[in-house]
Amino acid sequence: MSEITLKVNGQLLSVDVAPDTPLLWVLRDHLGMTGTKFGCGIAQCGACTVHLNGEATRSCSVTAEAISGAEVVTIEGLSQTGGAVLQKLWADMNVSQCGYCQAGVLMATAAMFKQTAKPTDAEIDALVSNICRCGTYPRIRAAIHKAAGMMVAEGAAA
Amino acid sequence: MSEIDRRSFLITSGLFSGGMALGVAPASAAEPKDGTSHAPWATDGSGGVEMHPWISIAPDDIVTIRVPTPEVGNGAATQVAMNVCEELQCDWSKVRIEFASVRRDYLEKGIYTVGRQPMFSGHGTDPERMKMALQLGASARERLQRAAAFRWKVWQDEIDAKDSVLTHRPTGRTLRFGEVAAEAANVLVYNEPDMKSEAEWTFLGKASPFKLTAPAIADGSAVYGIDVKVPGMVHAALKQCPVHGGKLKSHDPKVVLGMPGVRAVVVVDPAKSRGVPKGLTNPVGMGMILTTAQSGVAVIADHYWQAKKALDALPVEWDLGPGGKFADEKAVYAQGKAALAKGKGPVIRARGDVSSVKGGKVLDASYATPWCENAAMEPLNGTAMVTADKCEMWVPAQDQHAALWVAVDETGLMPDKVDMHQTLIGGAFGRRTASDDVRMVVAVAKEYPGVPVKVIWSREETMAQGRFRTPIMTRFKAVLDKEGMPEAFTAHTILGGLIAMMSSLEDSPYVVSGAIPNAEISSTFLPYHVQTGAYRGPCYNSHSFMVESFIDECAAAAKIDPLDYRLRLIDKWDPAWGVVLKTAAAKADWGKPLPKGEGRGIAIANWPNAGLRKNGTTVCCVVHVAVSRSGALSVKQVDLAFDCGKIANRDAVAAQLEGAVIFGLNSVINEEITLKNGAVVETNFDVYPMMRIGDVPPVINIHFDALSGDDRFQPVGEAPVGPVAAALGNAIFAATGKRLRQTPFRKARLNWT
Ligand code: FES
Ligand code: FES
Repeated sequence: MSEITLKVNGQLLSVDVAPDTPLLWVLRDHLGMTGTKFGCGIAQCGACTVHLNGEATRSCSVTAEAISGAEVVTIEGLSQTGGAVLQKLWADMNVSQCGYCQAGVLMATAAMFKQTAKPTDAEIDALVSNICRCGTYPRIRAAIHKAAGMMVAEGAAA
Repeated sequence: MSEIDRRSFLITSGLFSGGMALGVAPASAAEPKDGTSHAPWATDGSGGVEMHPWISIAPDDIVTIRVPTPEVGNGAATQVAMNVCEELQCDWSKVRIEFASVRRDYLEKGIYTVGRQPMFSGHGTDPERMKMALQLGASARERLQRAAAFRWKVWQDEIDAKDSVLTHRPTGRTLRFGEVAAEAANVLVYNEPDMKSEAEWTFLGKASPFKLTAPAIADGSAVYGIDVKVPGMVHAALKQCPVHGGKLKSHDPKVVLGMPGVRAVVVVDPAKSRGVPKGLTNPVGMGMILTTAQSGVAVIADHYWQAKKALDALPVEWDLGPGGKFADEKAVYAQGKAALAKGKGPVIRARGDVSSVKGGKVLDASYATPWCENAAMEPLNGTAMVTADKCEMWVPAQDQHAALWVAVDETGLMPDKVDMHQTLIGGAFGRRTASDDVRMVVAVAKEYPGVPVKVIWSREETMAQGRFRTPIMTRFKAVLDKEGMPEAFTAHTILGGLIAMMSSLEDSPYVVSGAIPNAEISSTFLPYHVQTGAYRGPCYNSHSFMVESFIDECAAAAKIDPLDYRLRLIDKWDPAWGVVLKTAAAKADWGKPLPKGEGRGIAIANWPNAGLRKNGTTVCCVVHVAVSRSGALSVKQVDLAFDCGKIANRDAVAAQLEGAVIFGLNSVINEEITLKNGAVVETNFDVYPMMRIGDVPPVINIHFDALSGDDRFQPVGEAPVGPVAAALGNAIFAATGKRLRQTPFRKARLNWT
């Protein structure tokens, strides 16, 4: 066990965990933040996506020791980091079915918007490659395009 | 509501007016006060005054509706709340849902048990439950109005109820629902109020609010089974014999007991299932006990990662059992092939005399579908605490009755000693119906009594221990008459699993309508060692794929357009089917020429009652594909028309149909479980391909134009899964001339010149 310090959603936290514990389980088990989901454990599905130092990262596949001191944003902190528009759209457009994958999808989407304000379909395909077994993909794409439109409109107004 | 129903409803509602008639604690008192965090999807939770076990109203007007329907992602729980809201006339923004407690249902003699498959996640519009919900809403509204009339000393019929406000028309005085709820709860209603006619509905069929779960999903606060937190909880990682039916031979706990956080290594032994207490029979619904415990071993630790690491390090030896002798899946399927080669099996439906048909063009084709895994995104899991006289559990069950009775069977406790908390469900598609997962959770917790244990299957374990889609092989023969229409049709089908249904083969309208005058369907049941279960439209998904592909073969042999061919066979039998076919075809520009290498395919089917007119949900898909010369397949467009009678929530229906199209496409293109030495090979998404956002067709059109308006609100989530597969195969045939009779299609070479 070793003491690891992280900044999670703006809060400085320290946990005592085995150094090889994946960030996913640090968040879920040790910090009690269960919004980040376990899907596959091998960086395939994206259910566990968080922002690690600002970048979309599959938290099942980074260990605690590798990221000591890092800054992490999870779905619980998304609304404070500009994701509220997305979250509202996700509800309004009834994107989710079971919803289990959607925290990861939202985190991947929010990270994409940091790179590009108006993502193309190809960019969406590449950057929001999460698995959704319920098949909400058409709605995810529609919600992303709508969000881009709203953000562009907001930007123009500002 | 029939007279008898009405009367029993009256008694029920009389008993529960004022709450406590049976001496059962009010719902709010049962809410755990120990900091247990499974809100907001708690059972037995929430404050407010109970109008009925289904409905509570709080002073701030929040209406809590306890739905007997778990939420698997199809919006069924929201639908039940909408049904209540239509008659209650409450403000939708003030409505919350909780999952009704199956224990309370048991204690209060089936208070939530209404309709077919009560407390199963599939149906928000089950006809009886829908009527019950509407009547309960009307009854609560009536009592609120009466309470207001009493308070104001005015005639009740001068009081309107709308958006959670009661208004006295002559004076304009108002009261909020929450202000009179306590008095209303004490009002006894001897004559239930009439319900609105459907034409008077203002909400159902009109509004498409987003699912009530949506905001919590979007902010990460939604609580699935895997998210449950109970004070003092420990974690278990579970491993069962990789070959289904095998047994634990030996293991060496010493090796791992000293690892950090590890508390215990426990063994699950099927012989330790205690059985349902004598004299009890499981009375309801789908909650049949279909499962037994599987031999396995679990490591219990403070945290999941510790448990998993220790489990990986635990030396384990298995006695693989009879399944271990199969080198691969082909060796297992060889049993089916041999049975198929023997000719027919026991005949389950016959019409005319197939042997009397001589001459004519003969078609003979064999089809096969493999095991597939439900692959819900939430791995199997559950939390339970078992003591000598109690079992409390928090589980993402698809059928609460099944979960309750499985726990009773595993612990030997009376049902009133089993308390089950239903959580949100991260997908299931049938996987969580039989509650074999709940049984394993309870079986593990039983070995570590008095402590809440959260058991998590890794993804690998979830997939290795699937209850897979039943593999099916069918050999079809048809003899075509001079016109090219089938005069005789035979099918022999081999079903390799526990779930062995014949929907859409045995009751195919081509057969039951008499359109094909001579038909014979036979089936052979071959239980392989690999366990099977429900997989979105069980067995139907295979049968409808095969029948609709084979009919396409007949049309091609007869040189008749596949749409015309189907219309000739079924348009007269049930014109609603013809409308569905014609709508999908017209919307998809059926018949419009396409460039070389492109093609359209069409297929139609009905779940769950193809053989009955005005029943189930009929779906027709037209799929448009492009296949490159080198054989790369792309699905350009899917057009879907359907008839489920009527719809209560248009957007929710569209979402289910979209999702089912994608599920069906993934199933037919990608999915297959194979074996090595009897054990599952594909245990994670690196080798079990799943469509991602870039793989889905760019255009999926859901057309509502074929709805008949017949008096039914049938569920739509399963119906597309078979026809979309057949339509894809038929489109590939149109594009390349290659007929695909086996899935997954990704294994087929589609190149053409
Ligand atoms: S759980 Fe991390 S990518 Fe699937
Ligand atoms: S909404 Fe269920 S997995 Fe995506």
